[in-house]
Amino acid sequence: MNQFEHLQEEDSGDHEEMKDSSESDGGSINNNNNNIRRKMVTPDAGEHPLQYNYTFWYSRRTPSRPANTQSYEQNIRQMGTVASVEQFWKFYSHLVRPGDLTGHSDFHLFKEGIKPMWEDEANKNGGKWIIRLRKGLASRFWENIILAMLGEQFMVGEEICGVVVSIRFQEDILSIWNKTANDQVTTSRIRDTLRRVLNLPPNTIMEYKTHNDSLKDNSSFRNTKITL
Amino acid sequence: MSANTQQSKSCPIPTRVLHLKDWSQLPDCYSQTPGGTLFSTTPGGTRIIYDRKFLLDCRNSPIARTPPCCLPQIPGVTIPSHHPMSKLQELKEELEEEKDLAAEDNQFEMDI
Repeated sequence: MNQFEHLQEEDSGDHEEMKDSSESDGGSINNNNNNIRRKMVTPDAGEHPLQYNYTFWYSRRTPSRPANTQSYEQNIRQMGTVASVEQFWKFYSHLVRPGDLTGHSDFHLFKEGIKPMWEDEANKNGGKWIIRLRKGLASRFWENIILAMLGEQFMVGEEICGVVVSIRFQEDILSIWNKTANDQVTTSRIRDTLRRVLNLPPNTIMEYKTHNDSLKDNSSFRNTKITL
Repeated sequence: MSANTQQSKSCPIPTRVLHLKDWSQLPDCYSQTPGGTLFSTTPGGTRIIYDRKFLLDCRNSPIARTPPCCLPQIPGVTIPSHHPMSKLQELKEELEEEKDLAAEDNQFEMDI
């Protein structure tokens, strides 16, 4: 058998593998192209459905490069969508923990159909709570905030859009986005639920920032409203 | 079905009414889903609610352990299932679980 025949055999093997797994599994096909060509993601038989489908996103930026909407949209990519508890664990178990990410990176977990961008329809009138974490805490807090969101612990109807963990140079930041920034009942309830599910010490500073403000000063985490 | 059926007495669902003069008087547990229920009915409809413990328990099911089919390969971010890192992740998590369990066990040690 010459070397080319050998390669050909290997090649056809790979294709078959991909075809089979994409038909049997409940995940969705994603490429970096975020203009969505999605197939319907649903829970498989025997799996525990989630109240909503959620999509994992990842973004990374070289800090020196200035950020604008266009570059942000290109730097962020979908990784997969999940519709059940089991599908969630499948994905989550194959992601590096945020504490192990390098550079200026973010994980986002957002309801399917909502882009983790200020300009998205669902986010236009919204805002976010942010919690700053010293180094070493991100992985644990990220896991707990995701589980609370997936498990519908926030009890604010449709208001939650998604959560973000942002790995930065000297601190890490947890954010939770909701649709209506001026709905104080909702934002208070989210804040209180965060305190409970993340076990935050009573004097933890929590900051809220509307996405409009972020758009205005082109910054995610500066000039926030501080709550004690 | 059974020959002897008993009628249980009905009793009202226990509730507690609080009158607050200020937001600061809100008890910590007001936003908590009662008992961390698996499925729960909320006013206006049924929501699927899972508590943390339940979600963590699902992690060990055989379905959850099979790798996802279409995870993009992003070095340093996603771990292919045959990658040595994925084993490392599993061990890390098992280690943390053991730490949690050990903390609980210590409470039950007895000196005989």
